[in-house]
Amino acid sequence: MSKKDLKLKFDELSSVIGTFKGLEIEVGRIFDDEWEEPMGPTPFPSVGTLRNWDRKLLERYKPFYMPFCDLCCLCTFGKCDLTGDKRGACGIDMAGQQSRIVLIACCIGASTHTAHARHMLDHLLEEFGRNAPLEVALNTGVEAPNIRLVCGIRPKTLRDLEDALDYVETQLVQLMAAAHTGQEGDNIDFESKAFHAGMLDHVAMEVADISQISTLGLPKGDPEAPMTELGYGSIDVSKPVIMCIGHNVLPSVDIIDYLMENKLFGEVEIGGLCCTAHDMSRYDKRSKVIGPISWQLRFIRAGIPDLIVVDEQCLRTDIMIEARKLGVPVIATSEKSCLGLPDRTHDDPDAIVRDLASGAVDGVLIIDPKKVGEVTVKTVLEVAPKRAGKKSFSLDELSELANSCRLCMECVRACPNNLPIVEAMQAAKEGDYSPFAALNDLCVGCARCESACPVDLPIISMITKANEPANLLEKFPMRVGRGAIQDTEIREVGQPIVFGEIPGVVAMVGCANYPAGGGDVARITEEFLKRRFIVVTSGCSAMNIAMTRDEEGLNLYEKYSGHFDAGGLVNVGSCVSNSHITGAAIKIANIFAKRNLRGNYEEIADYIYNRVGAVGVAWGAMSQKAASIAAGCWRLGIPVVVGPHGAKYRRMLLGRKDKEEDWIVYNARDGEEVYVGPAPEHLFYAAETVEEAIVMITKLTMRPNDTAKGRAVKLTHYIDLYKRYYGTMPDDLHLYVRKITDVPFTMRDEIMVALEEKDWSEEKIAIPDPTLLDRMVRRRS
Amino acid sequence: MSMFEDIPVDVGIIYEGERIRGSDMRIELGGPREEYKFELVQARGMDEIEDGKVIIIGQDISDFPERTNTPFGLIIEVAGKEVEKDLEGVVERRLHEYCNYIEGFMHLNQRYDIQMRISKKSFDKGFTSFKHMGEVLKRLFKSELSFIEKIQLTFITEPDLVKEWYSKALEIYEARDAKARGMSDDDVDVFYGCSLCQSFAPTHLCVITPQRYANCGAISWFDGKATAKVDPKGPVFEIPKGEVIDAKTGEYVGVNKVIQEKSLGEIERVQLYTTFGYPHTSCGCFEGCAFFIPEVDGFGVVHRNFKGQTVNGLNFVTISDLTAGGRQVDGFHGLSIEYMRSLKFLDADGGWGRVVWMPQDIKERIQDFLPPEIVPTIATESDVADLHQLKSWLMEKNHPIVERWSEEPGFAPTEIGEITVPTLEMPASAFPIQGIPSGMGFTIILKNAKIKAEKMIIKADKRR
Repeated sequence: MSKKDLKLKFDELSSVIGTFKGLEIEVGRIFDDEWEEPMGPTPFPSVGTLRNWDRKLLERYKPFYMPFCDLCCLCTFGKCDLTGDKRGACGIDMAGQQSRIVLIACCIGASTHTAHARHMLDHLLEEFGRNAPLEVALNTGVEAPNIRLVCGIRPKTLRDLEDALDYVETQLVQLMAAAHTGQEGDNIDFESKAFHAGMLDHVAMEVADISQISTLGLPKGDPEAPMTELGYGSIDVSKPVIMCIGHNVLPSVDIIDYLMENKLFGEVEIGGLCCTAHDMSRYDKRSKVIGPISWQLRFIRAGIPDLIVVDEQCLRTDIMIEARKLGVPVIATSEKSCLGLPDRTHDDPDAIVRDLASGAVDGVLIIDPKKVGEVTVKTVLEVAPKRAGKKSFSLDELSELANSCRLCMECVRACPNNLPIVEAMQAAKEGDYSPFAALNDLCVGCARCESACPVDLPIISMITKANEPANLLEKFPMRVGRGAIQDTEIREVGQPIVFGEIPGVVAMVGCANYPAGGGDVARITEEFLKRRFIVVTSGCSAMNIAMTRDEEGLNLYEKYSGHFDAGGLVNVGSCVSNSHITGAAIKIANIFAKRNLRGNYEEIADYIYNRVGAVGVAWGAMSQKAASIAAGCWRLGIPVVVGPHGAKYRRMLLGRKDKEEDWIVYNARDGEEVYVGPAPEHLFYAAETVEEAIVMITKLTMRPNDTAKGRAVKLTHYIDLYKRYYGTMPDDLHLYVRKITDVPFTMRDEIMVALEEKDWSEEKIAIPDPTLLDRMVRRRS
Repeated sequence: MSMFEDIPVDVGIIYEGERIRGSDMRIELGGPREEYKFELVQARGMDEIEDGKVIIIGQDISDFPERTNTPFGLIIEVAGKEVEKDLEGVVERRLHEYCNYIEGFMHLNQRYDIQMRISKKSFDKGFTSFKHMGEVLKRLFKSELSFIEKIQLTFITEPDLVKEWYSKALEIYEARDAKARGMSDDDVDVFYGCSLCQSFAPTHLCVITPQRYANCGAISWFDGKATAKVDPKGPVFEIPKGEVIDAKTGEYVGVNKVIQEKSLGEIERVQLYTTFGYPHTSCGCFEGCAFFIPEVDGFGVVHRNFKGQTVNGLNFVTISDLTAGGRQVDGFHGLSIEYMRSLKFLDADGGWGRVVWMPQDIKERIQDFLPPEIVPTIATESDVADLHQLKSWLMEKNHPIVERWSEEPGFAPTEIGEITVPTLEMPASAFPIQGIPSGMGFTIILKNAKIKAEKMIIKADKRR
């Protein structure tokens, strides 16, 4: 592949200044600078460039630390006890240490997406060339809002994405360095750096997703993207089954291509777990989505796969142990996750197949996706017939296993959700397997119970077996990830957003570490769809949303449209597709107000923060990637609500609604500093229950800029939900009703009573053209 | 304590999106199976009606067997010092929203085309009489539209009476529409301004006149009037139009004054019916956009649902980006579909005689409002693909614009040529540059170019 954009060779060229013989002209990069948008103040921001903006947010939303561990053990001075007002040997205090861990988590998360993006881009450059055009979505001019905003470049070809990725990689090294012993010491600066990592993450995710959308033929922002099948029941176990686990779709693409080229698609089942499954279904809807990450172990234990292909991220690191037990060969495909396997990348495919099929090796590492495609398909066709009898696990065995349980409760103590495993054991001893089956939907599949069990009971397998009849029937439709939101859709919702007919945009994202099963995600989602919010979703949440049916047997994808519009349920795709969610918020600022994006981060974040009623919800957030995705939202001023396990991210960003001085903005029209009320009240909030989350999400859609009608609509939902779940009127209405016209007229009488109790009057809360940035105040020159 | 405590079902915005399937419905009022149905609002004198009275003529909800439909008429009579005939339509259109606020109640369409359903569930909860419905509507109307001082509601299910009123209602709708269509800017002293979109486009203000709908297509002059009455200090307000500066272009002293104030001095003058000089600004939610095509000296019009490329190779997104955000941009003009039906549409620029291209479906939707001789001469995406073809089409169909070409000395439609690269000839494929619109030259700067250049920057000429 040529690394030059232009290469010209003239045998002879004559010009007025003379004749050139054998002239060669080479140009390394051609910068297509026809972008008329002026460059903003912060292209390619470095670690400290946006520090002032971060500090404005962190001043309002002061970090509230909940140490998950009181010690620091990162250097050999330690362990250092940091409780109370103690400091460690290096001088760090508890706040510093907690925020340092937050930064490290965000760096891990962002690095993971960045490494994913690099792998993807390098491969696609090799395969499609540097000049492969970026075609991200139909009816869309703003192809890469995050990249435009952060980097100040407008990428047009794959090659241009390298500039964005080079930048992200350089910055991540800087950030990681800040976490070294004796570097950064201030907790707010650590937090600012975590925000930086989050912002970088969204750039990296955008690179990964728009490069694969543009070249691999994934849906281009299509609201009517096809439906695929999800669930155990979608797999035809009579066929050889390939299971792909992870996040990077490249090896799976080559498996699908190999199946197609050799006309084997009908004879082999290919299913995926976690985001690889999303992206496989975007590539070819006939590939099955088995489910979210928590199904990994269960599905392996069920004995259904005949071959496992892993790529990267959120894999079980003990997958070789599990696979060995079942005699299922494993193909690892990423240098990031080699699993101790021999590298056979350069070997003859048939030799690898022979070794895997004969059991001479239990797994191989193959870095070349093309070869993965061939080896996988050939191997599964040989292995499957030999494994034919191994797919079941009998109920008698289950009861026998239960009989060896000592009821010691170690499993329950180890369970993150305190599930009633012992009760299930007791019932199973008596031949009643239904309590075990009932655990199926609640269990997050972590298998800590098994590690804790003194008699090594395979508890996950027991749960899976008990629920097997139901599992095998479970098949749900899911609209495949559509990718970005079209510019035209953004424009369509402009008016209803301005008028308040659409009360907000709720993003249901993140992992599957749910406190009480994935059904809660579907429940939260439907609550907002019914109320005609726009709901966007991705990753494991998008899968769990599919897995609940109503009494008529319909799930939410069947009941709600895929349009980015009121009451629409928009599956954007895998983890890396989350960049389209922030991208949509960024595009709202760009398309309505014509605010420039180019290197103009602070202004756009200020705009989104004050005006766009978007809230992120990660009910089962588990990973470091989820942490960095959230951090990218915070810096843009988008609040994030997490489930109870999210408290383990060690700190919340909570506003103080009682402190009037915290909620002052400039009125951009005249520069006056005015009080606007606590909207949005928090930037990062862990809810204990679904009900608390629903009420909080609704409240967090309020923004200082709401029109009277918009605020009235938002208040209606807030009050209605609050009354429904708390049984009384909210006690902070006086902080959100600015003028009498904000009062929803269907609730006027009761609201006026509540306001009177709080001595509310019309003049206290302003409705300005709000901004936190002095420079945004209009001053006529 | 709630306003609707005594109503058997809940009432609130949260029920707006509710759909009631056939199997869940107790009764359908009107709907496709009934020929006669209507809803009608009438302005009355203060002493002509009795406030709060609900009259039911014919069977009540509970008198019907389950899952039946019935002819249905609803007459709402309103009175008040500020209530005017002009506002009937606006008040009437609130019905859709209000009915849908009722739990287990679905309202579709409007006027003579209504379809309403009451769910079994709500019926079982006790919502069994039009009395309840009347009570809810009465309270909603009076609490939102404060100019309504008295309201009386009549529900009719008696088939003959529905039929009789149906034809009266049709006459009233027709008369109302005719009046609205016939109204001109000269007939009124007051226009309305709408600053709702300033939350997204801070220097934008829509000026709404009898002949110019708001850009979003959602607010007519009548809507403006009603809204301003309810909340005079709100985002929709009166603009006394003041002295006429130029009737043709639509420039008024009063309008300019308000624009200057509301745009914070950013915009000084606005001429409502031209796209050049001081055009009306565009927010971000306009339904369509007119764009000047210099090559033929005419306008194209495109709406936001048109997904393809317009005749000059740009799509709606690109075109709208050129004008959105409260700016005055020559030759680009955000507008509503309804405005295309106005006699003043782009009047100062030559009106429909200057429009040369528009998407097929929008042309079909509005062609009855266009000068009939123009209709066949306006090209669509199914007639022409590019400017070359457009030029030939216009000449072939003898579009009035062709005459303009010869009238205007000095104007010759621009040659639509190939891209030419000055001085150095290279294979075009050597340049990985796409999307440079035709007619634009570009300059090549070889930076650090001795023999081997590190960078080559290709700059497009600035747009006019």
